Amino acid sequence: MGTRIVGRPGAAGVAVGPVWRYLAGGVGETRPSPASGTGPGDAAAAVRAAAEEAARQLEALAGRVRDLGRADEADIFEAQAMMATDPELVDAAADRAQAGEEPVSAVRAAAAAAAATLAALPDELLAARAADVRDVGERIVRILLGEDVALPEVPSVAIADDLPPSVAAEIPPGLLLGVALEGGSITAHAVILARSFGIPAIVGAPGLVVAARAATIVAVDGATGEIVFDPGPTEAADFAARADALSESRLVAAALRDRPCATADGERVVLLANIGSPADAPRALEARAEGAGLFRTEFLFMRRQTAPTEAEQVAAYRAVFEAFGPDRPVVVRLADIGGDKALPYLNLPAEANPFLGVRAIRLAGAGSRELLLTQLRAVWRAAGLAGVTPHVMAPMVATLADAQLLLDLRDEAREGAATAAAAVGSIPEKMVTGVMVEIPSAALLAPELARMVDFFSIGTNDLTQYTMAADRGNPALASLQDALHPAVLRLIRLVVAGADQAGIPVAVCGELAGDPAGALVLVALGVDELSADAGSLDGVRAAIAVVTRNELADLAERALAANDADAVRAMAGELLGAQVR
Amino acid sequence: MQVAELEVHNKSGLHARPAATFVKTAAGFRSSVSVENLTRGAAAANAKSLLAVLGCGVEMGHRIRVSAEGEDEEAAIAALRTLAEGGFGEAVAG
Repeated sequence: MGTRIVGRPGAAGVAVGPVWRYLAGGVGETRPSPASGTGPGDAAAAVRAAAEEAARQLEALAGRVRDLGRADEADIFEAQAMMATDPELVDAAADRAQAGEEPVSAVRAAAAAAAATLAALPDELLAARAADVRDVGERIVRILLGEDVALPEVPSVAIADDLPPSVAAEIPPGLLLGVALEGGSITAHAVILARSFGIPAIVGAPGLVVAARAATIVAVDGATGEIVFDPGPTEAADFAARADALSESRLVAAALRDRPCATADGERVVLLANIGSPADAPRALEARAEGAGLFRTEFLFMRRQTAPTEAEQVAAYRAVFEAFGPDRPVVVRLADIGGDKALPYLNLPAEANPFLGVRAIRLAGAGSRELLLTQLRAVWRAAGLAGVTPHVMAPMVATLADAQLLLDLRDEAREGAATAAAAVGSIPEKMVTGVMVEIPSAALLAPELARMVDFFSIGTNDLTQYTMAADRGNPALASLQDALHPAVLRLIRLVVAGADQAGIPVAVCGELAGDPAGALVLVALGVDELSADAGSLDGVRAAIAVVTRNELADLAERALAANDADAVRAMAGELLGAQVR
Repeated sequence: MQVAELEVHNKSGLHARPAATFVKTAAGFRSSVSVENLTRGAAAANAKSLLAVLGCGVEMGHRIRVSAEGEDEEAAIAALRTLAEGGFGEAVAG
């Protein structure tokens, strides 16, 4: 019998494989800094040795990623490997160390100087390279400090207290069989990543990191939250059987792809994909998404010194619009950015609570009106070029005035786009315009908002965080982060009622829409469209296909009257289980 | 010293993979090799450094001057010329 720990389910899936432990910098088993207590000559040599090691790691990473068929990412790692031994960077850092500067700050200063040179060029693409240089600098620093992240060599299950995005994103997907976190929340980046890869993820598993210390093999079941270290033969066979059953049910679900998503008695539900960049389009289309219910545009705005130009945005939006075509609408979410990320071109003061601060549509009143106008002009123009009707929605809408601001910006942007001489005649007549409902005030104002806009899209993650006053990133508040809480469901019912009066559709684009049990509850409450990661669509389609309208009406009534989220989850699970049997 | 003036006519100029190909080729020679963006008019940069080459901001249609000095300078220039003519391994815009 192996050591058994139970955490919270994050992403469904079963995996058995070697343990790969990730320890965050400064915790526990890191090695002492090799450069401490030595002279300047040794410090310069330490910088050069760390840079060489960084280049070796990056080359190995590039090779592994290339073997997995991801050539574009491999090119980036290869360029980073060259930067790590680049004389411009390494000589500058070593010279600074030789002159007595502390090695870590010598490396950071040299990387910052190289990044600044690239960022100062007029070419937009080089801004991303500037971020790559800084990233290389940080990798060298990690090696100098002995905090270096040795990536798994063979396909493994990651065990960590938390897996930061920078590390999670670096593990080639084929080498990650599953994720189990001692901390973390079900909306953690690593969990979202796991769902998109179709691998299991478990969070909030007490004692996990210590228990993993002596273990070599681990079995995880993301649906039940079970983690078993060094499973015995019976346990191993049990997990293998679960894995077989799961892959069979996934095959069955995939077989439903060619039928439109509907309940057993024929009520249609529109299934859409959430995407974060043009690169996500092929997966969404393969999963038979009927469009993109959420196109996150932050990728254009992050990790750079200046705002993206209109032309750069037009190219990105056009690529997505063309990939989906005129029959599969793509809803562009205006940039959800603000004080939580230091974006130099926003000129925002630091805030104590950036998620309750100046962000998204609120930027218009804080000196960044032009940023939103530029984005809207780019959407108009890209839609004209791709020959599609543009769909746009604004996050962080709290009031009727916010919605009016969105409509005004939209119209002003259309005029701007149409008067640009080259574009005349190619701007669409209409932009389908919606607001996200993620602030409780917007849910309460739904009847009035519904008369102003063309659709609602509920962001369940933020609606839950703002309703329960519980930071979605704080693992200590996990029990307050479940969007199935009846308090959240009652707000969703208000939104649907308001939308129905005005005859506009309601979509949900939060994580809940991708969870089969959650999707059933949402459809039961009258939600028309579900938008989730492409990897979740098969499971949602299969869940909806086995229930009837009557069963859902009964589920809605009981869910709204339930005491807590666990009770609601059990009701939906029961309905699913009863139908599958 | 050997010098050649070349036109960059591939789509992404000396960015991304073409820049890496250029630097790897230059680094394969013992001679010191430098590159100068004549269109932008910036100072000559070390052609064996990816950061320096990226910093030249060479885009499609720019002219560059490549100089090599050392025992294999002729071979270095010849190799870089062939590379530029072939679009640094990237499709050449028609």
